[in-house]
Amino acid sequence: MSRPVGRAEVDRLGKRGSYRLGGLSQQGTARPAPPRPLRPWFTRPRHAGTPAGWLLGAVAGTLAIAGGAAAGLWYLPFAVGLVTGFVMRWGGWRFRVTGPAVLAMSAAGWGLVLWLSALRGLPIGPTAQVIAALLDLPAGAAGTVAVTLLVSVAQGLTGLWLGRALVAWQWPPGSLRAHRRR
Amino acid sequence: MLPDRRRWRLSRQVSNVAVALCAAVAVLGVCAAGLGTLPALGPLLDPGHGAWAAASGGQPPVSQTLTLPGLVAPVTVSFDDAGLPAIGAADRTDSALALGYLHARFRLTQLDLLRRRAEGRLSALVGPAGLASDTLELRLGLLRTARQEWARLPARSQTAELLTAYAHGVNDYLDQVRADRQWPALFSVAGVYPADWTPVDSLAVQGELTQQLDFTTTPLDYAVLARSLGMARTMSWFPVSFGTGAGQHPYDPGPYHASGVARIAKTMTAGNAGAVPSAAVARAAAAILAQTSALASGPAEGYSTGGAWVANGPKVAGGRSVLAEDAYLPHTWPSVWFEVAISAPGFDVTGATVPGIPGVLAGHNRHIAWSLTDTANQAALFYAERTSSTRPGRYLWRGRWRPMRRVRYTIAVRGAPARHLTVLLTVHGPVLSQAGPAVSVDWMGSLPSPDISVLAAIGAARDFGQFRAALRSWRAPAQDFLYADDRGNIAAISAGYYPLVRHGRPWLPMPGTGADDVAGVIPFAALPHSYDPPDHVIVTAGQRPVSASYPYYIGTTANQFGPGCRVSQEYSFLAARSRLRLSGLSVPQTSLADQFAARLVPRLVAALRPARLGPVQHEALALLRGWDHSMDPGSAAAAIWSTFWAAYVDATFAPWWQAAKVPVRWDPAVLTVSASQLTLDQVLAHWTLADRSNAAFSAPGEAARTAVPVLRAAFKTAVASLRARLGGSPAGWMLRRLHPSQSPVLADRAVSGLADRTVSGWQAADGYETPDDTASCVPVGRQEPGWRMIVRWTGAGAAGGVMAEGAYPGGQNENPASPWYANLIADWQNGLYLPMPAVGTVGLVRASGSSGVGGAAGSGSPWWELRP
Repeated sequence: MSRPVGRAEVDRLGKRGSYRLGGLSQQGTARPAPPRPLRPWFTRPRHAGTPAGWLLGAVAGTLAIAGGAAAGLWYLPFAVGLVTGFVMRWGGWRFRVTGPAVLAMSAAGWGLVLWLSALRGLPIGPTAQVIAALLDLPAGAAGTVAVTLLVSVAQGLTGLWLGRALVAWQWPPGSLRAHRRR
Repeated sequence: MLPDRRRWRLSRQVSNVAVALCAAVAVLGVCAAGLGTLPALGPLLDPGHGAWAAASGGQPPVSQTLTLPGLVAPVTVSFDDAGLPAIGAADRTDSALALGYLHARFRLTQLDLLRRRAEGRLSALVGPAGLASDTLELRLGLLRTARQEWARLPARSQTAELLTAYAHGVNDYLDQVRADRQWPALFSVAGVYPADWTPVDSLAVQGELTQQLDFTTTPLDYAVLARSLGMARTMSWFPVSFGTGAGQHPYDPGPYHASGVARIAKTMTAGNAGAVPSAAVARAAAAILAQTSALASGPAEGYSTGGAWVANGPKVAGGRSVLAEDAYLPHTWPSVWFEVAISAPGFDVTGATVPGIPGVLAGHNRHIAWSLTDTANQAALFYAERTSSTRPGRYLWRGRWRPMRRVRYTIAVRGAPARHLTVLLTVHGPVLSQAGPAVSVDWMGSLPSPDISVLAAIGAARDFGQFRAALRSWRAPAQDFLYADDRGNIAAISAGYYPLVRHGRPWLPMPGTGADDVAGVIPFAALPHSYDPPDHVIVTAGQRPVSASYPYYIGTTANQFGPGCRVSQEYSFLAARSRLRLSGLSVPQTSLADQFAARLVPRLVAALRPARLGPVQHEALALLRGWDHSMDPGSAAAAIWSTFWAAYVDATFAPWWQAAKVPVRWDPAVLTVSASQLTLDQVLAHWTLADRSNAAFSAPGEAARTAVPVLRAAFKTAVASLRARLGGSPAGWMLRRLHPSQSPVLADRAVSGLADRTVSGWQAADGYETPDDTASCVPVGRQEPGWRMIVRWTGAGAAGGVMAEGAYPGGQNENPASPWYANLIADWQNGLYLPMPAVGTVGLVRASGSSGVGGAAGSGSPWWELRP
């Protein structure tokens, strides 16, 4: 809603500088947003860093999650998601890219540990059945594995969300790009 | 002032941060601390640790050298393909330490559950659902007894050293698990982890086993029944003794002579049964029964049909002796049994152990073999204390008002505030209820019993004299010990404390004023026993071990003495054979023949009138006529018989129960009319065969009738029931469809508090059946066969003079992911046995450490070398 217009402003209409008033727009009409720069969908987005670098970062995040699980640091998916949330702004990545990336890193990180355990000959399937029974999950190994990966993914996505929200608060859109230009 | 757009954007960002922060806190909170009954999911499902780490416990052991603090000298452990370990130690206490380590390595959850149950600390693991069990156990006092016993043990006694070494072995493994954070899944789910093991824990587990086998609430059940059915009917249907004609084949007919302490009436009838307990006493009895029904270990005194037999002389090829055992304990996975061989200087024993107890309960050494099975005596006497509102906290005993001792406990409860409990103690024992008069229990299991030192002495015994001398100290639980040695001698001793009173009727709650107190126990020399009997055979199967002429009171029929037909069956089998060899000796143990049915089915067939039967009933009758009385799971006739018998028991007694309003809810396991009521089965069988006009067949308020119309009605009811449940074709009514047998996982019995989060649902899918479940001479039994063992002596002295085989339903490893979790079930189910790990096969590692591990290392089987 527009603010009320004072009498003094009306009297100055037609005089120099009156164009600055700007408050005499039609009441109740929102100011139109400035036009966005044209960025056709088929053009490549502008990201900081190289694709290989980002891919390497994702692999590093996955390994960090896996290593953390092996060391008992169960909260590393959250931490990796949080860090991803921070750097996505700097890298110019959107959530539709970072979201699936964090999901994949979280699931792959914990899944990697389970897979390596199975490769070492540990009875992962039967153990999953035991856990399913104790947690009242549906019988079978797949359910327990799915719930395990879900716990990791939930952490990762929550971390991403928080990181992204914090960065957006501190550095609104464009500020980082402006900072980089300086 | 900020422009609208910026302000709107800022507020959106702030709210986005706030919501994201809330979501992060919620997700991390649930992951870190759980929510309600939901455990902390982060550490629990961490694939590197948490519950997934239990996978490492499911791996078979690999050959390796382990360092175990506390060892005096190196110890070797070798495993055969089935996972049965053999310990070789240069020191007796080292062998106990290695046994503790083995029990912890393969049965850590079981160990912790057993001690929690015994010590009233289950709630700390399972939450409020464990409170009922904890409260009763703390009142009953297994922990008090264990502490008392440990305090009395001289520090340098062999028993103290064994207990300490065993605890050291368990703790060595606990230290490893703590370091690796590879806990069994149950602890990770609960987020509660076992504390260090102590000698008191072992003694408490011993008490827990004693309670399962020895604690009885018979007098309370009598009180409730007498108040509802009346004393005459109660004592007629649950007599103290069946007398001589009941077919309970005692293993030793005597004669016995009273030799000391008190002697009470040897046969009891309704005439001298005593006064009906007061309503207040019955109310107190009901309150206690409600507590015992909630016991995590299930109802006591339910395992009376374990059996064992020994034979010698001409019965055995080679003229030596044979011992065969079939011990019954609650059936769980993992099994309560853990098979092991132990070799140490002067001690070479192989057999069955129970996790928590550093001793072999049943097995053999180089000279003797022994077994123990439960005897159904009455080891608990109940007293109604005289109290006064003018003297709170006091009771009258021997003319003086005495203060009740108070013991206070704090019960930790997972997920809830701790509870406080005050236990009152009188001279008789703990007060279990104050609903009505204060009722206390004098239970033989509350007395310190040197079971572990007795087992150690038995393991080292070389002949019957040493075996008998060791048993002199055995107090509880009262057990039938059978014995066979390499010289061809056989024996049986029903060892333990059998309490005696000078006055009163011990099968009812008695006044606590002093006159009816326990005056002593049956002297050891007068206990039921037999040595080298002339017919060369001794059989025990929970039957009354002596005849009705035995001069001492040992319990009533309601104590679940076995019906005797299984004993008769085994005596018949052994009487018809001579020169027995190891092969074929399992026949009596695995036989499905039901002598109970063999006696009664002809009466049923004779009572039925084919002309008045429908086509389905005709077909069912034809199946019964052609039946060989085998309770085979695939037999339709067996299903018809078992359903009929349950209906027959119900048709006879249920009208009386309903008319008298028997409050079965107070103790459903004992008070409910059912075919698993051994006493009712026996009286009904007796009436059907010899007293068909018994007044009990005439339902209260109805016309007089005999057994015949009840038989006919029960048959029709059974056929209708089976038709409704299994379809219209009797040929398809196989017993296995009627009684699919499943064994609960240990967690199921002990951790019901995990709100159905047990492994039973998953395990039940495997559908293992226990054929013996329905073949115990009781039509629909709830029997739970466990450790089976056959030992045949072929010569004296050397280990080559013995052949021994064993089997139990389960496996050595409690972890369901382990290949040794259920690997022994199939053999056990099929009546097959495995050679017991032989004593002395593991080469002892010399103190210098220069020697290897004997044959184990080269055989390809895994072995451990344990070093100090």
